[in-house]
Amino acid sequence: MNAEPIIQVSGLHKWFGMLHVLSDITIEVQPREVVCIIGRSGSGKSTLLRCINFLEEPSAGKIMVDKLVVEAGKKGRANRKLIHEIRLKTGMVFQEFNLFPHMSVLDNVIEGPVTVKRMERAKAVEIGMMNLDRVGLLVKKDEFPNRLSGGQKQRVAIARALAMEPKVMLFDEPTSALDPELIGEVLNVMKKLAQEGTTMLVVTHEMGFAREVADRVVVMAEGEVIEQAEPASVFNSPRDPRTQALIERYRSGGAK
Amino acid sequence: MTTENFTGAPPLVDPHQSMGEGLVALQKRNRFIQGIKVTAVWAGLIALVTGGMLMLRISPAYMLAHYNVILQGAGTTLYVSLVSIASATMLALLGSISRLSSNPIAQGIAGFYVSLVRGTPLLIQIYLIYLGLPQIGEQITQLGFPAIGKIFILDAVPAGILALSLNYGAYMTEIFRAGLQSIGYGQREAAIALGMTPLQVMRRIILPQAIRIIIPDVGNQFIAMQKDSALVSVMGVWEITYIANRYARRDSKYMEMFLVAAAAYWILTILSSWLQGWLEKRMAQAYER
Ligand SMILES: Nc1ncnc2c1ncn2[C@@H]1O[C@H](COP(=O)(O)OP(=O)(O)OP(=O)(O)O)[C@@H](O)[C@H]1O
Ligand SMILES: [Mg+2]
Repeated sequence: MNAEPIIQVSGLHKWFGMLHVLSDITIEVQPREVVCIIGRSGSGKSTLLRCINFLEEPSAGKIMVDKLVVEAGKKGRANRKLIHEIRLKTGMVFQEFNLFPHMSVLDNVIEGPVTVKRMERAKAVEIGMMNLDRVGLLVKKDEFPNRLSGGQKQRVAIARALAMEPKVMLFDEPTSALDPELIGEVLNVMKKLAQEGTTMLVVTHEMGFAREVADRVVVMAEGEVIEQAEPASVFNSPRDPRTQALIERYRSGGAK
Repeated sequence: MTTENFTGAPPLVDPHQSMGEGLVALQKRNRFIQGIKVTAVWAGLIALVTGGMLMLRISPAYMLAHYNVILQGAGTTLYVSLVSIASATMLALLGSISRLSSNPIAQGIAGFYVSLVRGTPLLIQIYLIYLGLPQIGEQITQLGFPAIGKIFILDAVPAGILALSLNYGAYMTEIFRAGLQSIGYGQREAAIALGMTPLQVMRRIILPQAIRIIIPDVGNQFIAMQKDSALVSVMGVWEITYIANRYARRDSKYMEMFLVAAAAYWILTILSSWLQGWLEKRMAQAYER
């Protein structure tokens, strides 16, 4: 467990103008670990995730991904290159899928390897097909995204991220935009990835998934990490009253 | 969840049922009959105008004898418009990306250009380029740089193309900007997360999607430009309007020549609209297949 962490966030702050959205966040993710982040809407979960691949610029603190360290506030070419390399090491899955509608499913998946990694097309297609197969959608490879169901879109988005062969996968509420009957297929794919040893950091409202699949659950409230432990301990004996309230709400069936 | 079934238009007809098929066929026939009626009205109007002309001693023989010189002018009109729309598209691409960029210099230059061009008449711009620039060219020549001075003295056709390109480039910059902005931010983020550079995001993700939105507008601009290109006749470019004007004055056949010219523009724009419709249909298919 105490090998070199693959992600290490230390002393991270984020302000949006006057709004202090993240306050002194420090978390780690170990290789092959699955960490779920839970918390009420607006607690800063997405912002934390987006700071890790610099879709948001951290206001203060340090981000380390696979030995690459970026300190907030640094500018310049060397820093931009580091950020680029960190993005290559992280795969991101969005709530809204964000597939490229003008490309076929396979072209979506090989776009990263071909354009960013300058991989030969034949090789990229091979990797793309393998990853489409992993999410069970190889049959849809020539389809365009608008012909897929929400669940299928999200599975393609997962394959697209996997095709870059990242060190860690970041998921931002991957099932929140889905009809209830389509959530299962996406969670099953994620569960399979977890079993295969994929390192995953997952923001989710799916408590069942967190409880069953996560190695560790991080609870956030008002921009802070208020609790983190293995799922059994968080769900059975939450220490912080805000965690208790959060879990109570899910028990009683209310989402968000 | 069940309410979703009621959000769209109510499914009145199931086309797979025979009753539905009958209804579709009926609708098709009605549309066909309507089309025939409208065509008849057009034919009637044209006949009426033609009849009126004949009564007023407009000479169809003269028109028939001179439509071919107008046709030659149409070639020039088309050529000037095609070259201008192509360079205006390039300018608009550059302008819109500059306007959206975070670079203050690019943003400033593009904003200035758009504001200046949109705030002045095309005819003045044509005069400035064709008659104004040579004045600067002469000054530079006198200062001892004849090679540079020559650049400012443009022939009529290049001057016309330059004026139309600059003018339409400015209007199209705004169209392109709207097109680029209409692509959701999620697309950009997904591409950035994959590790794309800003240039790659633009080239691979944003532009291909924006172009599908922009194409119909470029078509409209092209049609408008064919008509605006009549203004370059003031420089003596041998396009439709100039030729019509010349013959009309020589033979005092104003109605005849300008009617032929009008017909030429009309036909050009109708053909362009068809081309545009065909292109749009093909573009739409790419998303589906
Ligand atoms: N670009 C932005 N500009 C200004 N404020 C922002 C921005 N993005 C997020 N915020 C604010 O930051 C806070 C945290 O947002 P964040 O999206 O990280 O929350 P979250 O925990 O992911 O919530 P949810 O469960 O609804 O997704 C919110 O108050 C939000 O309004
Ligand atoms: Mg969020």
